[in-house]
Amino acid sequence: MTLLKTVNLVKIYSDGGVPVPAVRGVDLQVDEGEFVVIMGPSGSGKSTLVHMLGGLDTRTSGEIWLGGKRVDTLSESAWAVLRRRQIGFVFQFFNLVASMTVADNVELPALLAGATPGEARERREVLLGALNLAERADAAPAQLSGGEQQRVALARALANQPTVLLADEPTGNLDSRNTRDVLRLLGQVHKDGQTIVMVTHDARVASLADRVVSLLDGEIVDDGRIARRRKGNAGEVIELR
Amino acid sequence: MTIRHAGSRWVRADLRARRGQAVLTVLAVAGIVAALITAATLLEEGTNPWRSLFSQTDGAHVWIHTQEVPQAVRLREIDGVTQVAGPYRSAPVSVVQDGKKEPAALRALPAAAPEVAHPVVAEGRWLDQGQLDGVVVERSFARELGLRLGAPVTVTALSGARHTLYVRGIADTAEQGFYPEWTPGLAWVLPDLLDRIEPALGRSEYVTGLRLTDPEATQVVSQRVVVMLEDKLQRVYTWRQVRAAMELDNRLLGTLLALFGVVGLVAAALALANAAGGRVLGQLRDLATLKSMGFTRAQVAGLLVVEHGALGLVGVALGGVAGLAVIAVVLGPSAIAPAPVLLIVAGTALVVLAAVGLPAWRGGRTPPIPAAPSAPPRGHLSRLARLALLVRLPPALVLGARDAFTRRVPAFMTVFGLAVPMMMITIGLGVWSTLDNFQRNPAQVGQHAALHVRPGKLESASAERMAKADRGVATVYQGADVNALAPGQARSVRVRAIGNSAEPYPFPVVEGRMYAQPGEAVAGQGLLDLLRAKIGDRVRLTVGDSPLIVRIVGRTVEPDLDGEVLSVGLDSLAAKDTVPPEFYALVLKDGADAGEVRTRLLAVSGEGLDVQRVVNPAERLTVIRVLIVALIFVLSLIGLANLLTASALGLRDHALDLAVLKAMGLTPRQLMATLVTGTGLLVILGVLAGTAVGASVVTGLIDLQGHTSGVGAGIGRPPSATTLVLAVLVAVGAALAVALIPARRAARAQVPVTAR
Repeated sequence: MTLLKTVNLVKIYSDGGVPVPAVRGVDLQVDEGEFVVIMGPSGSGKSTLVHMLGGLDTRTSGEIWLGGKRVDTLSESAWAVLRRRQIGFVFQFFNLVASMTVADNVELPALLAGATPGEARERREVLLGALNLAERADAAPAQLSGGEQQRVALARALANQPTVLLADEPTGNLDSRNTRDVLRLLGQVHKDGQTIVMVTHDARVASLADRVVSLLDGEIVDDGRIARRRKGNAGEVIELR
Repeated sequence: MTIRHAGSRWVRADLRARRGQAVLTVLAVAGIVAALITAATLLEEGTNPWRSLFSQTDGAHVWIHTQEVPQAVRLREIDGVTQVAGPYRSAPVSVVQDGKKEPAALRALPAAAPEVAHPVVAEGRWLDQGQLDGVVVERSFARELGLRLGAPVTVTALSGARHTLYVRGIADTAEQGFYPEWTPGLAWVLPDLLDRIEPALGRSEYVTGLRLTDPEATQVVSQRVVVMLEDKLQRVYTWRQVRAAMELDNRLLGTLLALFGVVGLVAAALALANAAGGRVLGQLRDLATLKSMGFTRAQVAGLLVVEHGALGLVGVALGGVAGLAVIAVVLGPSAIAPAPVLLIVAGTALVVLAAVGLPAWRGGRTPPIPAAPSAPPRGHLSRLARLALLVRLPPALVLGARDAFTRRVPAFMTVFGLAVPMMMITIGLGVWSTLDNFQRNPAQVGQHAALHVRPGKLESASAERMAKADRGVATVYQGADVNALAPGQARSVRVRAIGNSAEPYPFPVVEGRMYAQPGEAVAGQGLLDLLRAKIGDRVRLTVGDSPLIVRIVGRTVEPDLDGEVLSVGLDSLAAKDTVPPEFYALVLKDGADAGEVRTRLLAVSGEGLDVQRVVNPAERLTVIRVLIVALIFVLSLIGLANLLTASALGLRDHALDLAVLKAMGLTPRQLMATLVTGTGLLVILGVLAGTAVGASVVTGLIDLQGHTSGVGAGIGRPPSATTLVLAVLVAVGAALAVALIPARRAARAQVPVTAR
């Protein structure tokens, strides 16, 4: 079932009078439970696209549908309310609120969505436990390594069990070990049924996805499903060319 | 509802992260609110003790002093008069207590308290026939003399006869102002005792009080009294004069506090707006993150208003409590007037919310993409920086100079935010130096003579001889104070005659010229206002039964009696008022100590002379200095709050540059210098601008206050150049020291090269 759909989505920046098209008529469909990676070189419009999907940026024209409802016409406030329950964001630079502890950072979205402090704490404990960060709950973000920070950011994005998780270069600022950790986590939540749209320009990262969409100059130039090896069936079918 | 928990987490975390700045903001706002509340209460009429005293004593509105017993029945028949107090016989005496000799009026009142204008006994009991040597002393007079219940008091009549009385009670009255602002002091005795102390009826006067149906009819009634009593009348004064005498200092302090409070409020609002704005700029990424999590624009703005507004409101609440405490301690709990306090609290709360509203609104408009850079606008070098380059200043200075103005609006706000408190500090210093000037040059406020000598029980001639013979005395002027009735005003004003017209006493004439011949006079601003006269006008007054017609040729600085004083040469008055002279004004030689001269004169005359030191108005206003120190402290807090904002903003804007500059080869020391220059330049600009504006308006402001209080323009003194330079240096030095700490830390820290 299609969860997220864009129809001829266009974004044109017009700072300084010269119109700069960033996204030029993108038609994209993401099914429920799907892990889509959007790839492309710098300036191909992939970040803009994912920002528009989450309502962080407004579209110039086109349509965005989420869960069968058209959302591109929503006001800024309506988008904000939508984000609370349906969309989780992970950014390249973690973007944890510096003055708040790790625990507070993770509890914030739950509180915002209307959970009681008790519920929020419970949820946070589960999430941080699952991400091996339980003992860092009272630390300030600045005391954490990059990988730890990104794991906290992931916990925060998942705090409200969003319909879709949008990730903008989540490993772009991490070393290979931390990248592996974060990707493993993403893989886990995906396996639990989480729909994920991730922007990256790292081909190794893309290998994790169900589907890779390649963007160039704001247009989709390739949209390919990656054939999954079926675990448990290994050995039964061996293709040789 | 959903936002409450989430928002409070964020607000608490943010406040924890900048505890120092938050405390500063709270203290600054609290100081200003406390000043405003105290000012309003001092200016509020309810704090004037006159009102409650008048109602407690069922006071009289008009007081008449006559030579002979007036016909009370005829006075009562005047339209508008409901009751008459007295006439009471009153005799001038002096009270000797602890070596001090104070002028007093001994008034004969019956043992049964009268219906109208009955003194209210505060301590002890009222007079009674069983204790004939009992005296009840007016409270402020008793305090000045240090009199307690049961204490013996020695009074000396004009004849020189001494009597010892015992204090039976201490009482309040609304009949006259407080001692020593209002002289003579007042004490009540039974009529029999007064007859014993002063048997000569000619040396006493009769005092009658009139209570009116309508206080506004005072003017009409007292005019009728003047017409009716004509030459028998010596002096008339009304409740308005008594009230004014009681509120004199309150008004001045209130005005000063109000000025500082209102401008301080503007400065505090500016500091709050700066702090909130700077914080918002520093938090753009956090705010964007909040929005990406689902905070709406209005919610982000709301959070910011709540956070920064709450600081202000806590300050307002603290200030309110502090203000009320100050009032309760200084003026007594009854002085608290709820209406103005509530008004001030509500008003300042509104100002606080308005001040944080704009930055909060801007914060709410932050785009929700956290990665969006919020770099300062880059551009060409500022003119100042180009100038700096031109004269080949060190690179750190040039870079700092360039940094100072990269953000125009915050730079302006910082300069302005420092200039306003600095301006007020300069004005405070100006008030200080004006007081200093009063004290150092008493001649400039009409107190050329430091001592007034009354002959007491000695002959006038021998008193003059003794005064002239003293080695500390430079000049002796003969003088007399008389009360004159002003036409149309139906109230008495003071005519002070010292010296002759030919060689006039050096009154400080600030407008027009000194009188040069009989028939000419100079007047204080209060008198000019009262008579609606201007320099060059001819005025007609009545002294006793003789007219006094003089032309006012100049205006003097007149700190006494609200400036309602006419100064003339003795030869302008009728001989009966001036021979023998009532007192001698002693101008001392340079370096002579007034206290020593007084002691010598008392010794030479065998305590026969009555020698009084002239009270300098600055001595009465010592409390102003305390006030100025407190206000400078609060203003410094405001300035500091602004500075911290500017410094934090500068660091934030240049965190990235630091890495680049380090890569380019600047040493940590140079980096630090760059950062400090960036803030320091704004500080110097603000401090200099504030000092310049303050110094240029202070004289005018003090003169304006002088004008409205009757003292008259011409008293204001700007702070001395040394003081100003020192103030500027201290302000700039302190600011640089404060800016140095974070700059040092930043310059030495490892700067990560990341996006903002």
